[in-house]
Amino acid sequence: MLITGGNKRLNMATPVSVLRLPKGPDPNSRGFDPKSPRFIALCRTSIPTSAVSEADVEQLPKEQHARSVLRESFLRCLLSVTNKKVQFHMYERVKVEATFGASDIDVMNFQVSDLHTPIGVQKEALIRCQDVISFSFDA
Amino acid sequence: MQCGWSLLGPLQWIRYVNKQVKVKAGKDEEHRGWLLTVDPVSASLVLVNFLDQDVGGASVQVVMGHAVQEVQVLQEADQETTERLQSSFLPPRSRPLAPEQLHQRRAGVRRWLEQNRVPVQEDGEELLVAGALTITAPYGPEDCCSSNQIILDRVQRLIQSQPAEPPIHSTAPPNHSAALPADQPIQRLIQSHTAPPADQSERSSCD
Repeated sequence: MLITGGNKRLNMATPVSVLRLPKGPDPNSRGFDPKSPRFIALCRTSIPTSAVSEADVEQLPKEQHARSVLRESFLRCLLSVTNKKVQFHMYERVKVEATFGASDIDVMNFQVSDLHTPIGVQKEALIRCQDVISFSFDA
Repeated sequence: MQCGWSLLGPLQWIRYVNKQVKVKAGKDEEHRGWLLTVDPVSASLVLVNFLDQDVGGASVQVVMGHAVQEVQVLQEADQETTERLQSSFLPPRSRPLAPEQLHQRRAGVRRWLEQNRVPVQEDGEELLVAGALTITAPYGPEDCCSSNQIILDRVQRLIQSQPAEPPIHSTAPPNHSAALPADQPIQRLIQSHTAPPADQSERSSCD
């Protein structure tokens, strides 16, 4: 490892070995209340779709159309972010930079490369969307 | 703490699109920008701020739905801004081809599919594949429409791997003519090692 005395900035680019953070409780085992905050925060695999009340049966086609227009626009936006440098603003005033890889279908996790963290650069990482407040990039 | 933004629904969200909004998120973050879209799955807002008018380009912020505290409309967009917004993420449209070239392209794609034992029929300007997939002009992988994911994926890959055909009616110099077919593969080989000449630029968009 190259030691460059006094140059703290260079240490930021040191690659860090893969960190495996603790996973949440196993959703299939006994004893975990699916309504507990810990379960909801760590084990949610999908956002439940919004329910439609009976009164909106006429609105349904309009709602579906609006939904698909919005979603297509969002997906094209995600397509354009791929392989770009993005800055994530997370809770506790954490700001990290990474190269955007992909998002999953429910926008629960983002896959990124070269995540610059205060302890070094993570080559590949999964960022949980619940932890992200916003992210920005230049189109 | 979550405000009701995530619960509004697509009909409400779409009313905010193309407006300049101020979003309060997290504990003390504030973002402003033109609202491009709201993701119906996560209620995330996509805000665009145009950089220098002449240089172009934009800075985009995506605010996650679960972190939104408040959304306030500042102003409506005028026609020009709306158009600029809506076209910012659309894929670049290649220039429209003449009907003759479209016909050639369609025939070429049809031949390639038939060579690969894929049932295809011509239906006016479109190609109907296996009764489940439609290909519209200009017959590239992005122009395939189907409700069957597996067929869509296979046909897209197939079209993408279609080898570029030598131009038949081209404005190229005489040594490209079909009268000397044996030379054409060699010409292509030479061209691939140098910068592509101008008449190949149309082909590059479908590779």
